[in-house]
Amino acid sequence: MPGVARVAPGVAVSVRDLWFSYRDAAPILRGVTFDARAGEMTVILGESGGGKTTLLRILKGLVMPLRGEIEILSSPLKRGLMGRLDPRVAYIPQQLGLIRSQSVVTNVLTGALARTGTLRSLLGLMPVEHTEEAEAILHMLGIGEKAALPVQTLSGGERQRVAIARSLMQHPTVILADEFVSQLDIVTSREIMSLARDVADRGVALVMTTHELDLAREFADRVIVLRDGAVALDSPAREVDEAALVKAIRG
Amino acid sequence: MNLRPSTVRPGKMAMLGVSGVLLAVLWHLGLADGPLLARGARNIGIFAQDLVPPDASVLPTVAGAMVETVEIAFAGTMLGFVGALPLALAANDTVSGRTAAGAVRMFLALVRTIPALLWAIVFVVAVGLGAGAGVLGLAMYSMGYMGKMFADAFDDIDPEVVEAVRGVGVGRLQLARFAILPETANAVLAQTLFVFEYNVRASSILGFVGAGGIGFYLLGYVQSLQYDALMMAILVTFAAVVVIDQASMRIRRRFLSVASHTATRS
Ligand SMILES: Nc1ncnc2c1ncn2[C@@H]1O[C@H](COP(=O)(O)OP(=O)(O)O)[C@@H](O)[C@H]1O
Ligand SMILES: [Mg+2]
Repeated sequence: MPGVARVAPGVAVSVRDLWFSYRDAAPILRGVTFDARAGEMTVILGESGGGKTTLLRILKGLVMPLRGEIEILSSPLKRGLMGRLDPRVAYIPQQLGLIRSQSVVTNVLTGALARTGTLRSLLGLMPVEHTEEAEAILHMLGIGEKAALPVQTLSGGERQRVAIARSLMQHPTVILADEFVSQLDIVTSREIMSLARDVADRGVALVMTTHELDLAREFADRVIVLRDGAVALDSPAREVDEAALVKAIRG
Repeated sequence: MNLRPSTVRPGKMAMLGVSGVLLAVLWHLGLADGPLLARGARNIGIFAQDLVPPDASVLPTVAGAMVETVEIAFAGTMLGFVGALPLALAANDTVSGRTAAGAVRMFLALVRTIPALLWAIVFVVAVGLGAGAGVLGLAMYSMGYMGKMFADAFDDIDPEVVEAVRGVGVGRLQLARFAILPETANAVLAQTLFVFEYNVRASSILGFVGAGGIGFYLLGYVQSLQYDALMMAILVTFAAVVVIDQASMRIRRRFLSVASHTATRS
C-alpha cells in the first residue's frame, strides 16, 4: 500500500494524565490517560461537548494542554522550528479542511509539504515522485480518475477519501480523524470505515471520534469512552455490547 | 405599565436636538444668510447657462487627460496591491505571530489615515509635479486600504482549513501559499477591482494638486471661468467612471459568486 510504512506493532500514541481548559473555564479534560496502538483503530466516544475534538487538537499540537504527557513512538510530541507541527501525526478535522476551489491532486500534494522543501514548494515545483505517489494513493482509494477535478465538485464520500489521501501523503504514524463518518449516508459510511480499516491494518494508529456506536463496534479494535473529562471505559471493541457503551457514555 | 412616553420621547428629543445643532452649524458656516442664498441661486443660474453647450474643441485634450487619469488609477492600484499582499500576510496572526502581526496592522492603519490627495501632495514635493506623484500617492493609500481588506479576508478563512494544512507540518510561508491565498484568491481579486473603481474617481482630482490626470483641467477651467470647457471635462469624467464601474462590477460579481460557492460548507 503506498503512503504507509509498516511499523512494528506496539504503542504509537501514549497519553498520560492530560488536563486542559479553555482560558479560565473549568477544565474539560481531567487526567485523560490511554494508549493507541499501531495497526489498530481506536474509536473515542462520548457525549457532544465532552472534549473529543479538543483532545484530537491537543494530540495534533494545535493547542497546548495544561499538563500531561503525549508521546508519539516513545518520543515527546513537540514543535519544530518556527512552530512547525509534527508531520508524523495526521489530522482530519470534522469538515475535512480541504481547499475546495483546488483540484483533488493539489489538495493531496499538500500532505507532502513538510518533506518538499520550502523554496521548491513555494515555486510550485513539486517533485515528480510526490505527484506519482499522490496519484497512486488516489487510485488505491478508488478516486484515481477524479485527480484533476476541483474538490467542490466531489460527493461527501469522495471528499472523505481525498482527506484520507492527504493524510497518507504525510507517511503518518498516527491519523487523528474527527467525527469521521458523521456526514455520510450509511452505505458510504461503511465503505469509508472499511477503507480506514485497511489503512490501520497496514500499521497506522488510527484514532477517530464518532457517534456511530454500531460502526464503532463493528470496525474498531478498541473503544474509549470520554465522560466528565476522563476515560470512563477503555476496552477491546469486541468485548463490549451496546448497552455497556451507552451506559458508559451517559453515566 | 405605559411604555409610550419612554420609548417615543428619546427619539423625538434626539431629532429636535440634531435639527438644532444643524441650524447652529449652518449659521456658523455662514449659510443661514438669506441674501447670500439668493445671490448664490442667481449665480448658479448664470453658471448653468455658461455650461451649455459643452465646448467640443477641448474634447481631445480632456479625453487624453482622462486616459492618463485611468492609467494613474491602474498603476496606483497595482503598485498598492504589490505592497498590500505581503503586508496583509504579515498582519496575519498565524503567519507572523501575534506581536509582529499587531505591529503590521498598526502600520497599515497609519498609512490609511492619510487620504490619497494628501499622499499625492507629499509625492509632488518629493518627486515633482506630474502623474508620477499621482501614482505614488494613490499607491500608498491603496496599499493601506487593500492591506486592511486582504488581512480581514485572511482572518475570515475557515479555521479548519488552516488547522488541517498546519497539521501537515508546513512552514508559515507554505501555509500562506497553500492554504490562505488559494482560499481567498477570489475575494482578493474582487476587492482589488473594487479599489481600482474607487481609484478612478479618486485620481480624477489628483490634478488639483498637480499630480497628473484630468483634475488639472477641471481646476484650470474653473479658475479661468471656461464653464463650457469644464462641462466637457465633467462629461468625459462621468462617462469614463460609469463605463469602468459597470465593467468592473460585472467581473467582480463573477469572482464573488465563485467565492461564495467555494465558501459553502459540505
Ligand atoms: N475554542 C474554544 N473556546 C472555548 N471553548 C471551547 C472551544 N472549543 C470548544 N469549546 C468548549 O469545550 C467543550 C468541549 O468541546 P469539544 O472538544 O468540541 O467536544 P466534542 O468534540 O466532544 O463535542 C465544549 O463545552 C465546547 O463548548
Ligand atoms: Mg467534536
